[in-house]
Parts: sequence; structure tokens; C-alpha cells
Amino acid sequence: MNRQDLQLLTDQAKEKKNSCKHTICVCCGASCISSGSEEVLKKLEEEIKSRGLENEVAVIPTGCMGPCNQGPLVKYMPENTIYQKVDCDNIARVVQSQLIDKKPIEDLLLFADSREKPFLNAEEDPFFKKQLKVALLDCGDINPETIEDYFTRDGYKALSDVLFRMSPEDVIAEIKHSRIRGRGGAGYPTGMKWETVYKYVSDQKYVICNGDEGDPGAFMDRSVLEGNPHRVLEGMAIAGYAVGASKGYAYIRGEYPLAIKRFELAIKQARKNGLIGNNILGTNFSFDVDVRIGAGAFVCGEETALIASIEGKRGTPKPRPPFPAESGLWGHPTLINNVETFAGIVPILNKGGEWYSEIGTPKSAGTKVFALAGKINYSGLIEVPMGTTLREIVFDIGGGIQGGGTFKAAQTGGPSGGCIPAEHLDVKMDYEALVNLGSIMGSGGLIVMDQQSDMVDVARYFMEFCMDESCGKCVPCRVGTKMMHDLLHKICAGNGTRIDLDRLEELAVYVKETSLCGLGGSAPNPLLSTLRHFRQEYESRITTPGVKKELQPQS
Amino acid sequence: MTTITIQVNGKQLATEPDKTILEVCRANDIEILTMCHLKGVMDVGACRLCLVEIEGINKLLSACTTKVAANMVIRTDTERIKKYQRITTELFFAERNHVCSVCVANGKCELQQLGYKVGMDHIRYPFLYPKCELDSSHAWYVIDHNRCIMCTRCVRVCNEVEGAHNWDVMNRGTQVRVISDFNSPWGESVTCTSCGKCVHACPTGAIWPKAIVQGQLEKKPGIINELVEKRKMKL
Repeated sequence: MNRQDLQLLTDQAKEKKNSCKHTICVCCGASCISSGSEEVLKKLEEEIKSRGLENEVAVIPTGCMGPCNQGPLVKYMPENTIYQKVDCDNIARVVQSQLIDKKPIEDLLLFADSREKPFLNAEEDPFFKKQLKVALLDCGDINPETIEDYFTRDGYKALSDVLFRMSPEDVIAEIKHSRIRGRGGAGYPTGMKWETVYKYVSDQKYVICNGDEGDPGAFMDRSVLEGNPHRVLEGMAIAGYAVGASKGYAYIRGEYPLAIKRFELAIKQARKNGLIGNNILGTNFSFDVDVRIGAGAFVCGEETALIASIEGKRGTPKPRPPFPAESGLWGHPTLINNVETFAGIVPILNKGGEWYSEIGTPKSAGTKVFALAGKINYSGLIEVPMGTTLREIVFDIGGGIQGGGTFKAAQTGGPSGGCIPAEHLDVKMDYEALVNLGSIMGSGGLIVMDQQSDMVDVARYFMEFCMDESCGKCVPCRVGTKMMHDLLHKICAGNGTRIDLDRLEELAVYVKETSLCGLGGSAPNPLLSTLRHFRQEYESRITTPGVKKELQPQS
Repeated sequence: MTTITIQVNGKQLATEPDKTILEVCRANDIEILTMCHLKGVMDVGACRLCLVEIEGINKLLSACTTKVAANMVIRTDTERIKKYQRITTELFFAERNHVCSVCVANGKCELQQLGYKVGMDHIRYPFLYPKCELDSSHAWYVIDHNRCIMCTRCVRVCNEVEGAHNWDVMNRGTQVRVISDFNSPWGESVTCTSCGKCVHACPTGAIWPKAIVQGQLEKKPGIINELVEKRKMKL
């Protein structure tokens, strides 16, 4: 395929799309599928067929639309009306009133308890209104299993523009100009990373997409891979061109079978169309991608452990330096970026680095995808500009606390992050602000907790996770997390003493500073942040040995 | 050959680039504690005893894996480092069942010496008392997981020097164990050549030859590097 062929295919796909007056999108992300959306899709197709509307109405499966706990979700386009918790039994009724009578059934529309009434146009719901989709763009609007749907959104146009109009230096300059930072958690400037890999001279370089999302409560990468796999693939190919790599690996965890299936399908379709493989679009640039399936070890999200895992070795981290950019996969310069980072590349190149850099805060440009979970009315997937306050995320977008409860804290960054208490609800969410509060941005998990949550138990839970997931290579992480977990368990059970608490604090700082990799280095964060913001809960639990419980001093 | 200068604990040292901080310090009689380091095999930076402070870098780096660079200012003797070395040592002892009085390596054990060096007079953490196996199925040697500190020196020497790769590691966290082949008894190993290098590489009483009684173990960890150097000369 050459450039003209791509244009032709794009035009054909768009024309076909426009010939349908209506599109019914059925969310077929993993979450909606688990509540029965595949059945809904089948029933809807039958219903449309039985009414003889198949030339006017297209029924397509899509990726995640956002409010996952309300699934299965069905969206009627172009009205943008979303029905929630769709039941196979009332499909006929909804099709009749929505498509024929043009009267949406309000009782069945997407609705959070805290809102006054549902919105006929979902875009007016604050859940969607306050979002800005860049990495999630088109996710929930197109069928992720066909390349034609991706063409309708100018798919692979960015790759074609890059190959024909830009040098690798230009691409890197554009990415640097956009000020995008790594979305995997650490927030390292992506453009600088690309430049470093580009500068190392080697006959073989690699691009790795890190899809080993292991934090409890996080599902951003999964949803992007399930909802728009071609976008990630295109981003990887562009990265390959920029840094001079000819081979890419997508490392996706085995717990994401649907993401793996759809990404592998995307690779197959792109390869068939000559959009990856040898001499892409007739140029000298060749780039191929393979999927590697992770076995679900949290530590394999750490880049050096991930590389070891791809090499077929035990997934344990290595001390850095040397960094993967210098000596990565099989000793070659390697670029590793997160799924979400790669998903952001195409919009940056289509709309320009300038456009992206103007979104967000001075130090953190662009948007961030968060996975909302916990005691919140809309739990699911959102994307907001950096600098959006936590209050807006929880109360406007998320629709507030479930059952009218009180907000106590939000946990960000999973087992590597910390808790943000209610007094900091107005924090503008970006990399620096969260670090200042003792938490981290992390990959974007955001767990909302209400007044019933026990913060010591939260710290214990995350410590248990880190203890179980420690690879066992270095002493501080292997034994230190076990000791901290046991101490937390003791305090939770009401048997902890002042000495235990002191020891816990000493160990936390020790493990943070001496561990070999980021897993151990950040494992004490949930403990340290709950100690900082909720110390009272620890103090009220500890006892003085030999003194009866009722006589204990209540500090 | 180029020479660079670095500063360690306030002392100026001249050295060649491409050496690790550990190599330079040892060559200049500056003590750095290690457990997982063994001359002759690759360094992994796992025991975290050799951590040093480097000016301008906010993280502590392991001396065994970090190369020196011109004008590096290094400190190996700060209170923070000493405190962390002591905690690490205590965690080693608390993790498994290190009972020196009945151990074959008593008096010749690197872990025991480490305890003396950091001035460990008691252990502040609860002992974990894990249930560990002892495998005496091999005709000549025994592996006692109670004494193992997971330095993986045996794993590396078997893989890199002997080329047999009998040893590897299984499981995660405190459940990690050194295993023979795919976790079969050592005596049934199809890869072990019975060369005995792991016996000398082991810093504690975890791997030892049979027919040895308490405190009688003689280990020569230096033999590994001797072998490696001799091979280089032959080449």
C-alpha cells in the first residue's frame, strides 16, 4: 500500500460510515461484557434486522465509554443518547421509542443518583462535559476490531505524514514541544526519552509498549488497548521511526485476554494493509510489532524487570544505570513507554505539539486518564486536563459519593501512591502537586473512600500487596515489606505498641531509600501518606503493654 | 590509559574509568560491606549493603554496580549508611533460621562477620521462623535453606563459571528459594556437575560438603576469581 491507497481506503471508509443515518454503539469493553453486553449486541442486531433497518442503522461493538459501573451501556448516535444497564428484554421497546418515535425513555438513560435528571444528550452530563479526551479519543465510538473504523477517524494519517514529511529529529522536536510526560507513573519527559534512545548508535533498537498494568483498581491501559488498539500501534510505529527501531514489543499482562486479542487483531490487520512490516507505505522504514504476554507479576511493570521477562528470564529488576535507553532488551538501546503515552502520540502529531502543550498545568502538559473506583457514583474511566481539581473529578465527573456518604480520602497511584484527605480536595491534579501531598500520579488509579474506610487497614492492604508482589531479589523489599506488613497487621488488630509504630516509621524510610527498584522504593508510600494525613487513626490503635484496654491513654 | 580522580570520604583517589565504585574503594583499602558481591561473577546489587551516597544524586546507589565517573564525590561512612547497614543485617538474621551455635559455618561465616562489623548486639525485629527444607540428596553436598540469605552467588557461579545452570530461583517475596533444576532434589539433578563451586561461593552455612561437623567448614570464595583469571590467561 502506498500513500494514495491509504487516502482511498480512508475516503471509502468515511463514505460507508456516512451512508448510515444512525449508529448504535454497544460498549464491549471487558467490564460491560461481564455484565452481558455481547448478548445485548446480538439482540440489537436481530432487532434492527427484523425491522429491516440494517441499511440505515449500524450496530457496532465499541471500547469503553466511561461509566463502567452502569453497564452494559448502549449509545445512540448521532443523538448521543446513552442507555445504562441495558437489559435484553427491553431492547425492542427502546429501539421503538428512540429510533422510530424519537422519544428517549428517560427512566433508562445514563443517570447517577446525585444528579437531578438524566441528560438526553450524554455530552451535557458533567461526567462527559468536564472531560477532554486525547488518549481516549474515539474509544467508545469506533469498532476496535476493524481497521476500517479506525480509518474513518483518519487512522494512520499521522504515521503517513511522519514518514513522508518529517525527519526523526522533527518528530522528536514535536514531541518535546508538546511537553508530554510518561503516563506510566514516573512522569519522565517523553521527548527527552526518545531523544536519548535516538542518540545511541546501534544497528538494532527496540520499542516496548508497557501494558503490564498491575495496580489494584487501575484499568486505563486495558481500556485503551481494548477500545482503540490501532492508535497504540500507530504510536509505536511513529516512535520506532523517531528513535530508529525496527522492532516493537507490546508487553500485555495475561489477565487482559480481550486486550491481547484485540491488539493482536490490530497487528494482523495493519500488517495485511502494509501499515506495519517491511517498507511501510513504500518507504524505507520497516517496523514490526509482536505481543508478549505477562504472567501478572506486578514487578514486571518495572522496565528492567519487563525487559528480563521479554528475554525469557525471571522477571526481576536490575540496578540502573545503565538505563534501558542505553542497554535494554538484549543489550540494545530500548525505548519503553506506557500504553497511554503511545495513545497520546497520534493526536499530538495530528494537532501539533503546541496544541497539546497548552492543555494542563505549566509543568504537566496535556490530559490524564484516571480509573475511578471505590465509593463513587460513576466508577469508570475518565480523561481530564492536568490541573483539574480532585473535587471536580470526584463530585462533578464522578457524581459524588455513593449513598450520599462523606468523602474521606482518595487513593492515587495504587500500591506506590498515597491518600489525599478531604482538606486537599481542591488540589490541582498534576505530577508535582500529588508528590507534594505524599502521593504520586502513578498510572492513574483513583480509589475514592468514604467515612467508613479504615486508613490503617488501607495501608495494611497495600503493604500486603507489595509484600506478595516483591520479587524477593533485594533484602529491604523482600524482608522489609514483610516486617512492615506484620507490624501493620498487629496495629490493626489492636495489639500494636508505641515501639511498633516507631519501628514501622523507621522501616518505611529505610525500605524507600534502599530498595533496588521502584516497587520497593514506593511500597512504603501508602503507609507514609496515611501516617501523615491520618496519624490519629494509628495513635488511637496502639496500646501500652500490660495496661488494660479501658485504662489505655487515649491520645 | 586515562586517569580520573574521584573523592571518597574526603580522600582524593586516582583511578581508571570503567571500574565500579566498589573496585576502586577496595583497591584503596576503603571498607565497603557486601554479601551478594563475589569477585569473578556478575554483580546484581541485591543485598543493598554497599549503598553509597553520591553528591548530586538523590538516590543511594550500590557501589558494586555503579561505575565511577570523573570528579564523583562519594561517601561510604555516613550515619545514614551505617544505620541502614545495621537494619539490613538485622533483617538477614530475622528472615530465616540462623542459629550460629549449631551451624557448620560457625566462626567462618560471612553473615556472622557482618553482624560483628555492624555492631549488631540484638535484633529488633521479630524472627519469622519460616519452615525451610534441608536437601541432603546429593552424594557429597548439602543445601540447607534455613541458612540461605538469597545472595544468589551459587546461582551465578553455577551459570557463569561452571556453565551448568543447576541453580536458579523460584517464587517471590519471602517465599523465594534457590532450586536445583526445576525444583527437584539436588541428588537427582541432571545439570549438576558436582564441581563444588557453589560450596565455596556460598557465604554462609547454606551449602556445605557432607562429613563436616559444626564449625569445621572451610570455604574459599577467592577460588572462584582465581579460576576466572586463570582461564583468561589461557585464552
